[in-house]
Amino acid sequence: MENLKIRATKYTPEIIFDCENDQLEIRGESYPENIAEFYAPVFEWIEKYLEELDDREVTVNMELIYFNSSSSKIFLDFFELLDFAAENGKKITVNWIYEADDDDTLEFGVEFQEDFESLNFSLVQKDS
Amino acid sequence: MLQNLYDFKNDLNRRGIFFCFSGPVSQDLLVEIGATLKLKMELEEAHNSVALRVFSMVVEQAQNVIHYSAEKCPKEILPGSEKQDELSIGIIAVGYEGEHYFVLCGNRIHKEDVERLTERLTRLQKMDKEELKKFYKEQRKKGPDDKSKGAGLGFIDMAKKASQPIEFDFREIDEKFSFFSTKTVI
Repeated sequence: MENLKIRATKYTPEIIFDCENDQLEIRGESYPENIAEFYAPVFEWIEKYLEELDDREVTVNMELIYFNSSSSKIFLDFFELLDFAAENGKKITVNWIYEADDDDTLEFGVEFQEDFESLNFSLVQKDS
Repeated sequence: MLQNLYDFKNDLNRRGIFFCFSGPVSQDLLVEIGATLKLKMELEEAHNSVALRVFSMVVEQAQNVIHYSAEKCPKEILPGSEKQDELSIGIIAVGYEGEHYFVLCGNRIHKEDVERLTERLTRLQKMDKEELKKFYKEQRKKGPDDKSKGAGLGFIDMAKKASQPIEFDFREIDEKFSFFSTKTVI
């Protein structure tokens, strides 16, 4: 399968899903007007990727500056897919990366962490 | 109106309002409003997390206007606009009083939505931070109801980030419509 690359806009994040190095990154801002439309190819890609994935280790880096409430739902759905895969033996680590002075993004990370049992979900403070 | 414009501006300033927009709201406009407000708060040396909260309130509110305002620019005014065949109209204001930023937002709604909104917002007003957090997680897991065009989490997110309960008001316009206003304090 091919890597997924979506360039950032003012209100959508940069997405680089690299299936050769098993590095998946979502970085930037996320508050599109039509959330389902923007994330449809992302979900399509990840479902296929998880199906083909064997026992390789996957790192998912989430580095969001701001995301709206409907993006938060999308991320939950995304993590649920990963958590389900982790339950079935896939080795997946999510790094939730936040700025030192951004309490809300940290809190979102903590709340996501609480929701998942199988997924290795780490909170990572960005070096300033 | 020409003579009154200065009075109008002064009136806004007296109420602590330093930004006000009334008219058609688009996604691009909201991005620019957000960027300008961020810059303003940066220049005033507001704490980054405060600036982000103000920004997030403006985004949620403006997207509420875009999705739910019952006052639209009719199709014939905007030929050939991308993917969007109508614009939603609303009013958004941002101010500062008593050492807190606040966001005001208003738009027309259908009268039949008054009861549902009252119920939702009253419920949120009564919740403390822990209850809001729990409710947010529950709703996020459950997913939106049929009436929602997003995740149905906007008001809960705002209530979580606000320093005071969200205030709201309805004003009857005619037999079909009401005007819905909210105030969130950061």
